[in-house]
Amino acid sequence: MHRRAFVRLLAAAASAKAAAGIDVAAKGPSRAPLAGRPQIRTGLPPLKVVSRYSPAAAAGMPGPYPGQVVAVKADKSVDISTGAANDTVVREMISQGMRALTGAGATADAWRRLFTPSDVVGIKVNCGGYPHCVSAYEIVAETVRQLMGIGVPVTQIYLYERFQNQLDEVNYGPHLPEGVQIVAAERANRYTDNSGYDPETYLEANLFGEEDTRSNMMRLVSKRLTKIINIPNMKDHGATGVTGCLKNIAYGSFSNVARTHQRGKSHTYSVVGTLASIEPLRSRTVLQIMDGLRGVWHGGPFARTTKYVFYPRQIMFGTDPVAIDRLLLDIIENKRREQGVLSIWDRSPSSLKMDDTRARDADPNVNIIIREPGHVEYASSLGLGMYDRARIKVQDVTV
Amino acid sequence: MTPAVLVLLASAPCVYWTQGIESRGALEAAAIKRLCVPPDQVDTWRRAGFTVTPITEAELAAREALPTPGVTARAGLASPTRSPWIVADGWRFMRTPAAKYVYTAPAGKGALAAAEAFAYGADAVLKIDPADLGSVGTMMTFLDGLPAADLPPVADLAIVDDGSPLTGEVMNLLARRNLLFQVVQAPLPRFRVNIVMGTAAYPREEAGDPSAFAQKIRSQLTDEQRTLRVYGSEVVICRLTGDRQRMRLHLLNYGGRDIEGLRIRVRGTYRSGEALVPGAGRLPLEDQVVADGATEFSLPRIATYAVIDLR
Repeated sequence: MHRRAFVRLLAAAASAKAAAGIDVAAKGPSRAPLAGRPQIRTGLPPLKVVSRYSPAAAAGMPGPYPGQVVAVKADKSVDISTGAANDTVVREMISQGMRALTGAGATADAWRRLFTPSDVVGIKVNCGGYPHCVSAYEIVAETVRQLMGIGVPVTQIYLYERFQNQLDEVNYGPHLPEGVQIVAAERANRYTDNSGYDPETYLEANLFGEEDTRSNMMRLVSKRLTKIINIPNMKDHGATGVTGCLKNIAYGSFSNVARTHQRGKSHTYSVVGTLASIEPLRSRTVLQIMDGLRGVWHGGPFARTTKYVFYPRQIMFGTDPVAIDRLLLDIIENKRREQGVLSIWDRSPSSLKMDDTRARDADPNVNIIIREPGHVEYASSLGLGMYDRARIKVQDVTV
Repeated sequence: MTPAVLVLLASAPCVYWTQGIESRGALEAAAIKRLCVPPDQVDTWRRAGFTVTPITEAELAAREALPTPGVTARAGLASPTRSPWIVADGWRFMRTPAAKYVYTAPAGKGALAAAEAFAYGADAVLKIDPADLGSVGTMMTFLDGLPAADLPPVADLAIVDDGSPLTGEVMNLLARRNLLFQVVQAPLPRFRVNIVMGTAAYPREEAGDPSAFAQKIRSQLTDEQRTLRVYGSEVVICRLTGDRQRMRLHLLNYGGRDIEGLRIRVRGTYRSGEALVPGAGRLPLEDQVVADGATEFSLPRIATYAVIDLR
């Protein structure tokens, strides 16, 4: 069998923009402004994309609503004394959020703008913050209910993550109608299961001299799904600054991604956006629902204790992952400022305790890797969405 | 790629057994029929129907003792999951193919040791933990049943052996990264890369960090031009033999965990192939693609060892 491969060298395309950029982050102060500053860099590692999939006529990212975000807030969405979410309030938040995003008069019509009954829909959840900050059962369940409500058969709805043990821990099953497929690519993060990945759709890059230079897309994404809904959380991340829409969909749909950040250095700056841009993932990811009922302001992407958990009590809706993540940068940075700790933009060596996760978990002024919040802006340079805060239209809704 | 001149005939290692004839049942249950035994036990085992080779304590002691193959954690250098430190002996066999070796394999390592010695055609005696009889027996049966393929090893570069420990460590790191090399006594013009330690191109002090040194060699070869690439694991070491018409690839999994969907890229056009897997027999290769002058395929599953035949 011969493959029909479309090979693109994204790094080459990005380098033209990068040449005009300035390396502010590397030279800047440890407390950079909230907005950050342009930091498309030169000297990025070459990233080779191999995919035989062509872009859809209208790519899912940034989709029909570039630069638009609906932020629905509800004080009663979470009881912050217990951390429990209010299912009724969450349903109303989703209903109003989807209508505000699409301009539809009825909730079902809002969903019909993006999905049809023939779609096979994947819901990319985030289980990494178990037990205190994962894609909320209430949001996931309501998403499934709405899809079924517009005629998507339950057997055509998939919940997915990379690791089965994480899905097992979170255990969405009892919260969902029977028939929803819950699928992982690997049993656990042990780097031994490759069968769940598409051998012909991958990013190739030699980042740290690793022998395995490929990160392959999940077969589920490339072979089965026609649409994807991304449900990330509002979380800090030790290697990327924040983990939002881009990180969740990119690192949650490809193999062998932990290799991008180690020994204090992170190549997530360019890899996150590049992975998200690979077809067919880019075209099929048509809706972003950022779960901000709970958040993590330090120690992310994990949330093993409540020490760094906070409650934004909001859900953001959009089709533009960059715009939402741009807002997330401020949310996490603001929270960290409120706590009087290190900025996510900090790059000072004095804050770095390389690979010392215990020190990081104990002290929010410790970085284990130089974070790369600039990955959000880099993704915008690939056409995935709007980064300029002044041009992002945020529609606030209160429930 | 360059086929090396020396052809090593693969043969399964010999299990060294000192237990008495009362252990015959356990050996037969494991289908182990060939043994190395102390001279005074030879007749007893032969009468019981075993193929035996006498070996004295002195002969055993004279053999080069091999480290136990596998992965291990090294503080500050590697972790078993992310950047594993592999203990592998293939480079020793390539460096000194005429030497005689002995493994003392703890429980769980006997089958890997047997496969490793076989893959490189080493003359090895295998002391095993009795708990491994079953797995070693399965491996021996598999090795004995493999169709013969006396093909020359394939190499992308040559390394001139000056006999030094430093050069040995460089060979070790090259092998662990599946950088296919041939050990030579003098540079060979047919190789683009000839490593001669102590020269301006390859100063000894540079090899003080063998890992970085291996990366340098990798850069010189370029990944695109390498005859062999492995994706989906960093704990599988390969030995490649063959020519333009036929290839045999030995895959050794040092990680101790089954690996699914290992992806292999071999330069050259090979339209058909199959995997030979202990305990599973012949398996078709999955997702085989021939493009850009290379053949790619996936192996459904590898436990300890697998052989791929390509034509």
